[in-house]
Amino acid sequence: MAESAASVQVAACGCVTPFGDAAQTLAALLRGECALRPVAILGRDGGDAVPLALIPGRSLDETAPPDWLEAIGRLNVTIPGGDWGSPRRPVFVTGSNFGVGGLYALRRTGDTSFAAWGALPTCTERLRAELGWGPDVSIVSHACVSAHLGLLLASRVIWSGLADEALVLSFDFLSPFVAGGFHALKILNSDFPAPYRDRESGAIGLGDGAGFAVLSRGRGEWILSGQSLYNEMYHFTANRSDGSGFSQCLAPAAAAARGRRVWFKGHGTGTLDAGRLEVAAAAQAFPEAPIVGWKGSLGHTLGSCGLVELAIATEAVRAGRTPGTIGGPGSPMGAGVALEGFGNGEFDGVVCASNAFGGAHAAFLLSHA
Amino acid sequence: MRRSFSAMLERHIQSVITDDAGSETPAEGRNRLKGHFPAGSTRRMTTLGLMVGNALAELNPGPEDAIVYASGYAETCALESFLDSFPAPSPTLFQTSIHPSAVQQLMIGRQAAVREFLPLSGGSLFAFHALRASLLSPAPRVLLCGGEERGTWLLGHGLASGRTYAFAASLQTEKAPGSLGKVRLTRAEGMGELGLDAWFDLLRAREPFAGMIAPGWHMEIEWH
Repeated sequence: MAESAASVQVAACGCVTPFGDAAQTLAALLRGECALRPVAILGRDGGDAVPLALIPGRSLDETAPPDWLEAIGRLNVTIPGGDWGSPRRPVFVTGSNFGVGGLYALRRTGDTSFAAWGALPTCTERLRAELGWGPDVSIVSHACVSAHLGLLLASRVIWSGLADEALVLSFDFLSPFVAGGFHALKILNSDFPAPYRDRESGAIGLGDGAGFAVLSRGRGEWILSGQSLYNEMYHFTANRSDGSGFSQCLAPAAAAARGRRVWFKGHGTGTLDAGRLEVAAAAQAFPEAPIVGWKGSLGHTLGSCGLVELAIATEAVRAGRTPGTIGGPGSPMGAGVALEGFGNGEFDGVVCASNAFGGAHAAFLLSHA
Repeated sequence: MRRSFSAMLERHIQSVITDDAGSETPAEGRNRLKGHFPAGSTRRMTTLGLMVGNALAELNPGPEDAIVYASGYAETCALESFLDSFPAPSPTLFQTSIHPSAVQQLMIGRQAAVREFLPLSGGSLFAFHALRASLLSPAPRVLLCGGEERGTWLLGHGLASGRTYAFAASLQTEKAPGSLGKVRLTRAEGMGELGLDAWFDLLRAREPFAGMIAPGWHMEIEWH
């Protein structure tokens, strides 16, 4: 699309993961640490142990009010500026699960105190009140590309001059609801993920995560450009086997990156077919780019992954070193896959990509202003 | 780089489809709508999927259209059933209960790719947020669709819609023969709100409207 060449500046960004903030998360990834641990999928109700990465001190079992508010609060104090949710400073809240863990607890226990944060509108309204935002708070929910959609919508209010700055906040915290769902699909199992590696069977891990970005005109250390979406609408949980969905999405980001030397931060959950298709499409669109994915350590932070990994990518550029693709054993799916970390001083851009159910794809180019 | 972008928040309403299920049961709705879809394709479709899918299908979505999907609570009955399926959660209900699945049920059935698909939830300012997303899209034709389905036990907790309805509207930058009207957003002083139910009622009745729908935002709908 024409606007894929347009850019907006990232005035600030940050994240919270089980390792801590973006700098702490980067440091842990560079050390090759894995946040995933075996956890019973139904929490206190038991079930198979699967790889989950929970914020320290947080249980998979829901509390009322939700215990993930502490992590959101920790992130919130790092968001610069104020007056969020006013007409000139709108907020875009994105995610895939919101307070759905409360619905699970409500159904299991009958305790109505779990209802308060349950549905998307009620959860967001509670969050708005908790964080002291004004009323202009949009809610975006498109599974694991949700954060990218929030960035695009926020960019448009900036480009159009309707807002001076826009805040995108994305979060997803695990619960038996989501762990049970992915376990039912059989892609979350006792195996730990090995993104971008060939092996007998694929597996993912899931992780808690939240991130934010403040988008601005003319202010900010980072430029976001080449924002792109593509929805295959081929199958609820599978991609077209020719990889066309990946390549269609990456084309605008590749156009924006022309003439630059970039590295590629992919989606890389640990599923085999999607991993192979993504590696092939990335190698075609960015032939010289090292390909990395971090979900083998952090788990898949679902709707928040686009913002969580953007914040880590900016830290990696600042630090001059990109973490490799952490995960279990297996041979890399392509020559471009970087299993080890590398110095990124000679690169002048990062392409960040995410994918979701329904064959949804999203990507953007991140570069220094 | 700052982009030069037309900020005219106005589009022509080319087509509108509305469907208010009223007191119709899900089974009655399924019977009413199943003939609009290929045989055998509706077995796993939800009430909202059938209704939104039918309304959206009337507008023949194409690959260059942008689809903005607005639903506060989305697949409530699938969500309720998925929660009821524990401790042996259903993979099908997990997929179906995901927020934008109503549109995906149609589009995947048609194998119809689309570049821009923007699923939103919302509350008291939902009409404004859905319209702002629609009117800022660079696509010449935006299909703004959505709806709700009436919940059962979640409704008792205030976590579901009490109504079942669907709509789809074609919003275009260029006026074409048969245009029904115009929708316009402008900056203004004042407060206001307009939720999705009220937006649906405006579309269904084709009522003209001029008023504040969000703090600082005025909406006008004209029908020819």
